[in-house]
Amino acid sequence: MAGAARTRFDPYAVLKALDRHRVTYIVIGAFARVIQGSEELTRGIDIVPSTRPENLRRIKEALGDLNAQREDGRELRFDEHSLEPVIALRTDAGELKIVPEPEGTRGYDDLRRAATREPLGQGVRPSVASLGDLARMLGARGREIDLENLRMLRRVIALERSRGLSWER
Amino acid sequence: MIIRDARLRARLSQAELGARVGRDRAQIARWESDAVQPAFETLVELVEACGFELDFVLRPLEPARTRDSRIAKNLVRSPQDRVRKLLRGVRG
Repeated sequence: MAGAARTRFDPYAVLKALDRHRVTYIVIGAFARVIQGSEELTRGIDIVPSTRPENLRRIKEALGDLNAQREDGRELRFDEHSLEPVIALRTDAGELKIVPEPEGTRGYDDLRRAATREPLGQGVRPSVASLGDLARMLGARGREIDLENLRMLRRVIALERSRGLSWER
Repeated sequence: MIIRDARLRARLSQAELGARVGRDRAQIARWESDAVQPAFETLVELVEACGFELDFVLRPLEPARTRDSRIAKNLVRSPQDRVRKLLRGVRG
């Protein structure tokens, strides 16, 4: 991970590469929680891709643009037969995790219903998992390290509700 | 909420958890809905029956009002500004 820590985190480069190749995905994890209003620090992006063969082919092309390599040094393969629960990658623009079926969910088709397009500038408008789904994923992981983030996320949800905003949009 | 979380992670029904601790399903449901609070010893027993143990960590207290004010301030920002703020934080 030392190499990844030295890489300048550029989420726009990652998202633009995915968009350039018309990859279908939803942003999850810490970066998604930040977009939705939580206060955390992260140097990477986690995504849930559609696992259709055509989409997996597009991801592979996008990863080529980003010079992505697996953190474990193994060969990067991308087809429906070789998908793993989490594929952790180092790219020229920071860390990228591909998570076909995050804990507590049934993957892309489950999350896309409540996901929203969020404008991040530079022409980038990724689909981002809803606050409710982000909390569901954190809760399902059940890790001590996630508890503070889950607490924060629940307050974000409560405050959004009290502001009269629809957080499930 | 902790009882429900533990039970769901253990993939148990309310009736199954009840059977493990000698209580009926309705009592488990009352505890999970926060209609009634279990005694601390009972809470420990319920969590252990799900295969977990309660762990406590002392943290400095951030007054709820301060934290909420910080979050509310962040919610006023646009998603784009939230990402900018993140990048300032990680890039220094």
